[in-house]
Amino acid sequence: MELIDRYIYAVTQRLPEPQREDIKRELRGLIEDMMDERASEGGETREDAKGVLMELGDPNALAAKYRGFNERFLIGPSMFDSYLTTLKIVLFSILIGLTALFAIEIIVKPGDVPERFTEFIVSLFTASAQGFGWVTVIFAWIEYRKRMNASSSADMSKGWDPENLPQIPDQQARIKLSEPITGIIFTVLIAVICIYSVELLGVWRLREGERVVISFLDADAFRAYLPVVWALAALGIFKECIRIIARNRSGTLLVFHIVATVASTVAACIILADSAIWNPDFIRELEATGLFTSEGKNYDSFVSVWARVNEWFVGVIALFGVIDILSETYKWYRVKT
Amino acid sequence: MPDINETINGLLGELRRGTIVIGVLSQLTEPQYGYSLVPVLEEKGVAVDPGTLYPLLRRLEKQQLLESQWDTNEARPRKYYVLSPFGKEVYEELCLEWRKLIVSMDALTAGAKGGE
Repeated sequence: MELIDRYIYAVTQRLPEPQREDIKRELRGLIEDMMDERASEGGETREDAKGVLMELGDPNALAAKYRGFNERFLIGPSMFDSYLTTLKIVLFSILIGLTALFAIEIIVKPGDVPERFTEFIVSLFTASAQGFGWVTVIFAWIEYRKRMNASSSADMSKGWDPENLPQIPDQQARIKLSEPITGIIFTVLIAVICIYSVELLGVWRLREGERVVISFLDADAFRAYLPVVWALAALGIFKECIRIIARNRSGTLLVFHIVATVASTVAACIILADSAIWNPDFIRELEATGLFTSEGKNYDSFVSVWARVNEWFVGVIALFGVIDILSETYKWYRVKT
Repeated sequence: MPDINETINGLLGELRRGTIVIGVLSQLTEPQYGYSLVPVLEEKGVAVDPGTLYPLLRRLEKQQLLESQWDTNEARPRKYYVLSPFGKEVYEELCLEWRKLIVSMDALTAGAKGGE
């Protein structure tokens, strides 16, 4: 019976993965036994099922009993698997990102390898600690919120109704794990570049056998925005964590996704729209490399394009935001219908 | 003033919770599945609702007091629990402690009456 399936799902979903299958089986046996006892001659009715489930009590409370007493978790068993998954992804992307940066910097400016290797190791540690910290804080906060909600609904547990049990999500509504993983890797890579080596973003030239990079951005001016970058990275990871935990598309999740995307897009646009962060000497440095001269025929148009570069970037970022929101909405819409 | 029945029920619930373990262990010298234990216990005046009993059985199994086995021969697969050798030892020791507790409690409550 569908009501019973929903009940069993609601209980086992809150238990650690390895125990779920066994408890599911045992619980089903129990409910069937209880149904047999209750069922009238005419067979099992929905009312019988409701009665049995009411007797077993709120699925939240039953799951809590299965998990044991004295629950004091920073991150409880129902979320621990998601937590580990996220942590692995974040730490792995930090490792990849910083290693790539290190390699690029060594290629751009050879020399000083031992000293810079030490720097690399140090930033590896600090960035991993940051990543670990943020992921843990995010999950602990979600856990805390869940507990608050659970305890406030437990006060009304006498009034719980089997009819209100959430539906078992179908396979189609599952979010592929690759989506949030890509999201996290992307977020961490961008954050690592912005925080450690924003000057690497630019035009790369070879001059007298030496590579030079003419940065788009003014690293010193950009530094003022680093706290915002941290916050954006945390928000981005938070958004993906929620998707890893929920694993199912829903209206609420979509609303949350849209709010988070709009917020981070707006913040990114505000940073990029500030003309102070763009390298004021970009044109001059570019001329110095001999890439083009002030007599060149495209010079004027290039300068005018550069003058409006922030507008272009804001446009591109906003476009990405809109595309992301549209595609998520579409995927949700497809599940709904 | 708080309701006297409510207070008594609350305290009694706490007392019972501790004793259920002994009650359950006492009935598991022979393999039983969870729902078959409910009437056995009820008959002897120890009412346990399945929502408490099932998680408890798992906990006792985790503490290695019980051993379990799925019986899939019947139409409905059932998980049978039985005392482990370790559980038997623990149960016997617990019984001794329980008797001591009764004696102490008797002495204490009788003493309170006598002190009036």
